[in-house]
Amino acid sequence: MSMPKGFKSKNGYSSVKGTGLGYREMAEKMTVSGDKMNHATARNVFLSAMTKIVEPIKKSVGSDRDTNEIIRDPSFQSALQQIMFEYNELSI
Amino acid sequence: MHVNYSNPLSHKLLTHEQEVSLAQKIEKGDKSARDMMIQSNLRLAFSIAKKYFNKGFDSDDLLQESNIGLIKAVDRYDWRKGFRFSTYAHWWIQQSVRRHILKNSSAVNIPAHAKSMIWRVNQIKKEYEEEFGDQPTMTTVAEVLGVDERWLSEVYNSSRIPISLDAQIGGEGRTFGETIPDDKAQIDECLDREFLEKIIRSAISTLSSREMKILRMRFGISENPSDHENFPITKKQLNKIKGEAHEHA
Repeated sequence: MSMPKGFKSKNGYSSVKGTGLGYREMAEKMTVSGDKMNHATARNVFLSAMTKIVEPIKKSVGSDRDTNEIIRDPSFQSALQQIMFEYNELSI
Repeated sequence: MHVNYSNPLSHKLLTHEQEVSLAQKIEKGDKSARDMMIQSNLRLAFSIAKKYFNKGFDSDDLLQESNIGLIKAVDRYDWRKGFRFSTYAHWWIQQSVRRHILKNSSAVNIPAHAKSMIWRVNQIKKEYEEEFGDQPTMTTVAEVLGVDERWLSEVYNSSRIPISLDAQIGGEGRTFGETIPDDKAQIDECLDREFLEKIIRSAISTLSSREMKILRMRFGISENPSDHENFPITKKQLNKIKGEAHEHA
């Protein structure tokens, strides 16, 4: 079966290049720390967290773009990652 | 007799014999012959001045300057050399008009020799373009003129006409000053960014500890800077992301 056309982020996993852990590694670490989960759950939790962040942004800027599309958008994820780094450093 | 400048096209052109006859009279101090010579060549002065119309100079001033050039030519014309008066006068009129343009073309005073060099550069550029269909480089022009390229570039760049920032662009109502971009971030952009960050921070605070941990692991952000086991981001990667964040700020 051939790969679907278009951006992979629209059809496959959401991903940020270069940093952080993969879903399987995240699932392993969460399981070790007592929260048992597999890679699919790790992904679902990640996407659920992203949705919680995107919804209020969409509401405030009046965007009608699809939430699932936004949370899988690598540029949005990179921007959020940068904001989270700043957020982390300010310890707010 | 006085010279009538009102309609230069109304005067008849002189034949070579008439020009010689008038020039001889002028030599003897005949004022009316001088006036006649000037009046009969106003058409020439007008045609030369016309070439410089619509170049940002007052047309009346240009006509005045071309007439001054014509008067100089009448006073200096030597009929014994056998040339037509128009051949001789052309250069005087042209020089007079050009001198006026050079004198008034810039708010910054440029020395006469530099102005003359700029004329020559423009002339060479024009001829080169006509012959080769391409603009010559400053190196080529400097070689043709036999001058130092750096000096020539400095002289040529000094000829740029300054424009007032308050001047309107083509009568549109916008000024040149309004088209200059502000290097500093716009206030509304800063406010937008602050507003968005506030929303994101507020949204992050609503996440469960499980979601927060997953998000941090996914983005490689540690709660503890020494926790490289759970958040295996390298210092280099961290600095790169920080740099990108500052660039966007």
